[in-house]
Amino acid sequence: MKTKYLFPNKYKKAGWFMLIPSSIIGLLIVIFDYEPNFFDFNVPAFFIDKIFGDKQIFGMVKNNLLNELFGILTILSSLLVAFSKEKNEDEFISKIRLESLVWAVYFNYGILLLSFIFIYDLCCLICLPF
Amino acid sequence: MKNSIKVERAKKNMTQAELAKLAGVSRQTINAMELGKYAPSTILALKLASIFEVEISQIFILEETDWE
Repeated sequence: MKTKYLFPNKYKKAGWFMLIPSSIIGLLIVIFDYEPNFFDFNVPAFFIDKIFGDKQIFGMVKNNLLNELFGILTILSSLLVAFSKEKNEDEFISKIRLESLVWAVYFNYGILLLSFIFIYDLCCLICLPF
Repeated sequence: MKNSIKVERAKKNMTQAELAKLAGVSRQTINAMELGKYAPSTILALKLASIFEVEISQIFILEETDWE
């Protein structure tokens, strides 16, 4: 079956090869708060809200890029895994893809709705333990 | 909709995998159709009729519930 919006089948394997290590390493980095100095960079940001400072729109901010790097790797590789063609991409699989996409959108908006209702002012949340 | 893919396949002495290969779909698709979980596209239905060398209405049969 011809589809324009899927990657070739060979990218599926490449995606798994990237996804498994990058998600495990990424999780470990977040859990153990590993931030080596040589990954500290000044990066441009849309919105900056310092815990003990002013809010600022557009500017540079000092940040450790290691977790961003692994986050990007995880997202890109999971896209490859999900949107590469199956070995035999036929009409039944397109139907399954469509159905799961609908469920994924429901799930996503569910989480968005919960965050709308139950999460206020992230800054206060970070300040609370202090 | 009912279908007699399994019967026609048995008449031709074919496995699901062989039929899948001829029709250019996966074995899972043949299985889902035989179990009535998936209604094929017109193109695939016509291909199956051509493979089994029968009329399409001999394989796929409408049921009362399809009109509801």
